[in-house]
Amino acid sequence: MSSIIDQGFIDDMALRHLDAAYNLGRWLLGNEHEATDAVHDAYLRAVRAATTYAGGNERAWWLAIVRNCCLARLATRNKTKRDIAIDDAPATAERWLPRSEADDVENRIDSAQRQSLVNRHLQELPLNFREVLILREIEELSYREIADVLEMPIGTVMSRLARGRALLQKALAEHATSQVPHGL
Amino acid sequence: MDCKTASELLPLYFDGELDRVSSRELEAHLDGCADCRDVLVGLDTLRTRLRDEASRHAAPELLRARIRKDLAARAATAATPTATFRMPRARWLALAASWVIMFAAGSVFVPAWNQAGAAGDARDQVARDVFAGHWRALAANSPYDVVSTDQHTVKPWFEGKIAVAPAVQDFAAQGFALAGGRIDYVGSARVPVLVYRHGHHVIDVFVLSQNDAPPQGKRIESQGYVMETVMLGSQPAAIVSDMGDVELARFVQLLGSAR
Repeated sequence: MSSIIDQGFIDDMALRHLDAAYNLGRWLLGNEHEATDAVHDAYLRAVRAATTYAGGNERAWWLAIVRNCCLARLATRNKTKRDIAIDDAPATAERWLPRSEADDVENRIDSAQRQSLVNRHLQELPLNFREVLILREIEELSYREIADVLEMPIGTVMSRLARGRALLQKALAEHATSQVPHGL
Repeated sequence: MDCKTASELLPLYFDGELDRVSSRELEAHLDGCADCRDVLVGLDTLRTRLRDEASRHAAPELLRARIRKDLAARAATAATPTATFRMPRARWLALAASWVIMFAAGSVFVPAWNQAGAAGDARDQVARDVFAGHWRALAANSPYDVVSTDQHTVKPWFEGKIAVAPAVQDFAAQGFALAGGRIDYVGSARVPVLVYRHGHHVIDVFVLSQNDAPPQGKRIESQGYVMETVMLGSQPAAIVSDMGDVELARFVQLLGSAR
């Protein structure tokens, strides 16, 4: 158990950056329920790991924990999906299994009609590019902070950011041209 | 500058990550190159759309409530053994504020350290020096060079021996009697050490310079001895002793509340 001081510091920090944490989780996992659970997991983990915090950027430290919790959830989700595929009786299995990504995609497309175009294209980007765009453009983290959150070199952050931006610009541009009537 | 170099530097420029000299060169290129200006406009359009149209999901109240519940549950269990020693709220807030200031200050200096990768090493070295100093003092005939229970004797003794004399205060009434002081080394710096006694425990308070201080609120254990950091007035200090957690927390609080 760490000291009272460490605990207070973690609580304070988690609550101060809770929206950033939740937003990241929501964009990585795609639904409210799992994002809430993942951030809650991350908080419990941060409290236990308080003594490993060695100074430096607190927001990056905290978001790195949040991201790891989200990735762990995605990993089990994908594993569950594989399990269904090899199951002989998928109908019985589906009744009690948690929502898989396949359900999610349907949900997403359904609700996407109401969501903005940008939201949809952003959600459809591969996770690698999506997360770096969220952290840079929406949460406004610096390259250094993003590198700390993603636990990768700054060079990789820069190339992913460039690629992510290009992909999103392309998707939005294609959508725009497909909307333009012929003969214009 | 050619367009190839410019296109590589544009995202950095746009994200505010490009150094000043390169930025000036890039701006000179942009003045004469419509294509590169278009790329920059494209980046800006994308950012504007993302900030205006993409959802920034706010944390649901349910999540906040869950965390507050955990927090309260933990506070309740922590309160049982340490009920009398928990910090009053105002004190806690003041400490929290001091961390915020430390972090703000830290964020200015830390990136430079991080790049060298030496920050952690330097701070570990401080902790090692502090522990070593404490043990050496315990093994010596006397853990202090000036013996006095009077703060008005200890403080002047430091003056002239080191650059900044620390704030010295006696907590005999609270059970932590000032016993004396000495000079020790942390890295290559001479630092003042205040020595207190609590029962049979000897407590060393190393008054550090702003640059050498380990992160505030961080606690390090080594061979049954614990080091805890605290702000002593405006100076960071490291407390080392073999006291129990409860007594240590109380002493940290006493020191922290000294003007």
